[in-house]
Amino acid sequence: MNLYKNLKHLLLMLFLVQAYALKAQTVSFDLSGKWKFQTDVMDFRRGSLSPRYNHVLQEEIQLPGITDDKQIGYKVPYQYIDRLTRKYEYMGPAWYQRDIEIPAAWKGKKIFMYFERTHWLSSIYVDTKEVSSIDYISVPHNHDLTNFVKPGKTHRITVCVDNRFQYKTHKWNHAHTEFTQINWNGILGEMKLMAIDPVYVEDVQVYPNIANNSIKVRLQVNNETKKQFKGNALFTINGKNYNLKNEVAVVSKDSVTFVEANIPLGKNVKLWDEFNPNVYQISVQLNTSDGKTNYQHEKATTFGLREVKQGKNHVMLNNRPIHLRGNVENAVFPKTGYAPVDDASWERIMLLMKDYGMNHLRFHSWCPPKAAFRMADKHGIYFEVEMPMWGKDAEPDEDRYNFFRREMRAILKEYGNHPSFVLYCNGNEITGNFDFIEELTSDAIKLDPRHLFSGSTARTRVKSDQYYVSQQTNKGPVKVYEGLPNTDWDRSTESDVDVPVISHESGQRCVYPNFEEIKKYSNSPVEARNFEVFRDMLQKNGMLDQANDFFKASGALTVLEYKAVIEALLRSSKSAGFQLLSINDFPGQGYAPVGILDPFWDSKGLVTPEKFREFCAPTVALLRYEKSSFFNTETFTGKAEVYNFSDAAIKNAKLKWWLTDESGKVLQKGNLKSQNIANDNVSPVGEFSIPLKGISIAQKLTVHLSVNDQIKNSWDIWVYPSHQNLMQSTDQVLYTSVYDDAAKKQLAQGKAVVLYPDPTDVKGRKSMFHNHFWNPIMFAWAPMTIGNLVHNEQPMFKDFTTSYHTDWQWWDILNNAKVIEMQNTPAQLRPFIQVIDSYDNNQKLGIGFEAKVNGGKLLVLAVDTKTDMDKRPATQQLLYSIDNYVKSDKFSPQVQLEENFIQSFLNK
Amino acid sequence: MLRKIALGVTMLVSQTVMAQEIVFNQKAALEQVYRKAVEAESLLPMNDLNVDFGYVLYQSEITTQSESEDLELENVRDYAAVYVDGKLQGRVSDNNKKIAIKTNPGKYLLQIYVENIGRITYGPEITDNSKGLFGEVTLDGNEVENWKMIPLNIKKYPVKDLKFENRSEAEIPGFYKAKFDLNTVKNNYLDISGWGMGEVWVNQKYVGSYWEEEKQRSILITSENLLQGENEIVVFELKNNQQKTMKLSQIPVFK
Repeated sequence: MNLYKNLKHLLLMLFLVQAYALKAQTVSFDLSGKWKFQTDVMDFRRGSLSPRYNHVLQEEIQLPGITDDKQIGYKVPYQYIDRLTRKYEYMGPAWYQRDIEIPAAWKGKKIFMYFERTHWLSSIYVDTKEVSSIDYISVPHNHDLTNFVKPGKTHRITVCVDNRFQYKTHKWNHAHTEFTQINWNGILGEMKLMAIDPVYVEDVQVYPNIANNSIKVRLQVNNETKKQFKGNALFTINGKNYNLKNEVAVVSKDSVTFVEANIPLGKNVKLWDEFNPNVYQISVQLNTSDGKTNYQHEKATTFGLREVKQGKNHVMLNNRPIHLRGNVENAVFPKTGYAPVDDASWERIMLLMKDYGMNHLRFHSWCPPKAAFRMADKHGIYFEVEMPMWGKDAEPDEDRYNFFRREMRAILKEYGNHPSFVLYCNGNEITGNFDFIEELTSDAIKLDPRHLFSGSTARTRVKSDQYYVSQQTNKGPVKVYEGLPNTDWDRSTESDVDVPVISHESGQRCVYPNFEEIKKYSNSPVEARNFEVFRDMLQKNGMLDQANDFFKASGALTVLEYKAVIEALLRSSKSAGFQLLSINDFPGQGYAPVGILDPFWDSKGLVTPEKFREFCAPTVALLRYEKSSFFNTETFTGKAEVYNFSDAAIKNAKLKWWLTDESGKVLQKGNLKSQNIANDNVSPVGEFSIPLKGISIAQKLTVHLSVNDQIKNSWDIWVYPSHQNLMQSTDQVLYTSVYDDAAKKQLAQGKAVVLYPDPTDVKGRKSMFHNHFWNPIMFAWAPMTIGNLVHNEQPMFKDFTTSYHTDWQWWDILNNAKVIEMQNTPAQLRPFIQVIDSYDNNQKLGIGFEAKVNGGKLLVLAVDTKTDMDKRPATQQLLYSIDNYVKSDKFSPQVQLEENFIQSFLNK
Repeated sequence: MLRKIALGVTMLVSQTVMAQEIVFNQKAALEQVYRKAVEAESLLPMNDLNVDFGYVLYQSEITTQSESEDLELENVRDYAAVYVDGKLQGRVSDNNKKIAIKTNPGKYLLQIYVENIGRITYGPEITDNSKGLFGEVTLDGNEVENWKMIPLNIKKYPVKDLKFENRSEAEIPGFYKAKFDLNTVKNNYLDISGWGMGEVWVNQKYVGSYWEEEKQRSILITSENLLQGENEIVVFELKNNQQKTMKLSQIPVFK
């Protein structure tokens, strides 16, 4: 191991001894509770006379907590559009104070003041003097007060927490952004004053070796006595049905000594992985003496017996490839305004990951607190963590560089023992000096062999990369933002480069906001005032009653997109995994409601976890097929595959397929050859064909595939008869692509007109199957629409099977259509194919509508009806259904429309 | 220090020994992949040309009055190579939008080959996601007008249909072809050091892209794309068109 070549260490013999009991000499007391408090928006106190005169602060605050809890700061009168609005903003130094009596018994001890998480510079004044300052953002602040406090004396301890940007880092970094968690000021988690004997364990790092079931424990022992000490370190290792004690002798006169011990764990110890998250505790009791005084210190940590290596295309865990099914976590915690530090909150998130079949979280431009790692260790979730680094943060700036150098080392030291800490990346989509990125990455690799390291997501590769998270490699795109109506494709070729590749920020399909969420913010430090703006706009535009329909219809589309996106990535056998953005909403960057969970991680009711696990789980049945809409003269052919990254191969798997209609009736069924299905791979398992000639009526059918009746998945297809001679005018119904005199005359006679302009003749936006990417405020590009609401209960859809939301049969209809701007029509007029506008615009939009015009009946459909019609069964069927409708007595539009509106949306 | 130098020499030697050189001696003219041109008085961004990403050739006729005139572009998204009558004048990007045109006074064909590498995903410029060239292009302060904008079908044009000829000294961008022999079929890294910006196909299969600004200097060519015996490689190069060779390496190459 060249890892520690620069460090002094002692080689020590291991021997078992009787552990002898001693009273723990470490004492601490809790600092939570009431503190004196003062704001300092002018940033003047530090340079004023107040510290020198040791003035008592004049307000009170409860710690742990943040200033928002007490509604301190600027009461925000605004409605921010691009994010949730923080109710009370505070950015600046804030002062916290307590008079503390240092126990007389602490004489000769090291004295520390420990804050689990602050944000982000904390400085401590003892009486009138500033004695310590720490600016880590990802790890606890442990202030050494030994030389500044006197045991037996009461000191006035004043803490300054400064949440201003300490370095010129990208303001969107999730460690300190206002977009998701807020840029809070306060102290969170454990806060305590500790006294420790002067010969103590500063650090314990545990390096598992799975080849021989052992660990190497590396201690940093600090000695402040300036004398030689002798003694031993007693190790106690505990786990489920597991207990082991071990000991090494320690002797040194140096102020810093590294002690390494190789401890065989025996054959009863178990490996850690997602399926068997076996966690062990190791505590180290250091008993020493300098000849006169005895010292004792105890430090504990958790670890898992597991090794991570770089495979060809996958991350290897315990020498087996794993596939990462992940979510991007962006510090979205509107309930508290900060990332929680308690186990229960994080346990909920890990269990949600498991519920939705995932095994991975990427912490985007931040590193979570200890509780997150603890709960991921417990439930078997693989983490990627990052520093607060994004965009131009790698451009030259020595102060900022040094901050990153310190922060990276601190993260590895603080969280490196956690088995869930599998991947480390410096940050997100970095630009600037990549020599610096390479330096950080190669340094990190040398410091800690327990993780894989990567320079930056989705940007320039560096030599030391051990994996790569990106939208694209030099072989092409590896992200998947949207599905297709065909599934015989993947991202394997593009993922096959020199390191494992993880698909970056896949998904991102926008759902219309659910205004019911507004009321969830009553006890939060933030409010959804942007939702109020959007809601008011929708009300002003006469469609507030449709808000929930828009939410449901766009939400259903997002769910079917995510199924398609995830399956495409599971079919990609050479991909190391994916990171979905995201299963939960992102409340910043313009506000991106792309989740199936809201920002509180509560379900939006769009899909159940059970249904989600059909396409996102350790084992998933997959099917490759060429399209979703068929003529009944065609044959459906499916190529079945099984994605299996579970804990075992599947022996003698029984593979069944069957076809059902909408009532659930089985129309056809069959078996594929029973076979063994490998683990850690995506295996083709056979093909089947279903002739569709018996399907005489247009309908939705479902193709099912199961593995051993346990693993099930299904795909909807639509089967249509073909139609000739559609759109034939009769005396009563005129079909026309232009609104001309003949059309006007027909209407004036009280008859019917179907106007089907060529989409190129219609003003307005291009229609698109997919709902908008991420959100329309941040990315103001096409389509600027969020799916479609189909008024499927209306009679024009009688012969066209459709839900209230668009599904894959709508693909060729919507991609060959134009969106008509309809805000200037009467409020009662609702297009039967209603396009959902971007929520910051909320105009009425449609592709098809009907109205009474000049005494006649008009139906307008802005869909191309000419191009490749023999390949568009669904469009044919829609036209057939509309034809039946307009030629029936059901065709009776209720809303009167002025003729000039018709001309207004046509180019000529 | 001495040891490092010695090591460097050894590595250089071993690389030279290991690397197989590929000589590109054929070229296919770019006109073969021209898509339908759009003509307009002013520049149109790629968004208006329905080009989401990829390459567009912007061309116009210019008249120079002196031997060196400044060509200034208002917006370059993301990278462009500037040619006058087929001679490379230099490269421009959004950070460096001015270039000197050195000619004898007269009329010339100005050709600007632009690549759009995708959309901006964060930062204050995020609401402006126009790509290609837009705004004004001026020569010595006078606006260049009457543009012909030709989307280039680089990625989807069937490589087998390209017509190659023996290479001349022409600098204009194009496709380059080479053949190389392999005794054993295994994964190889194609070392593109020295080349500028482009795309690569091996045995008519797309294998990847490269750009000199990246630290990564090689493209993995997996064994399934390689043949024992003769292999064919085609490269589209936008900028450094005087390059003659690439190499095969057994390890990834980074700068």
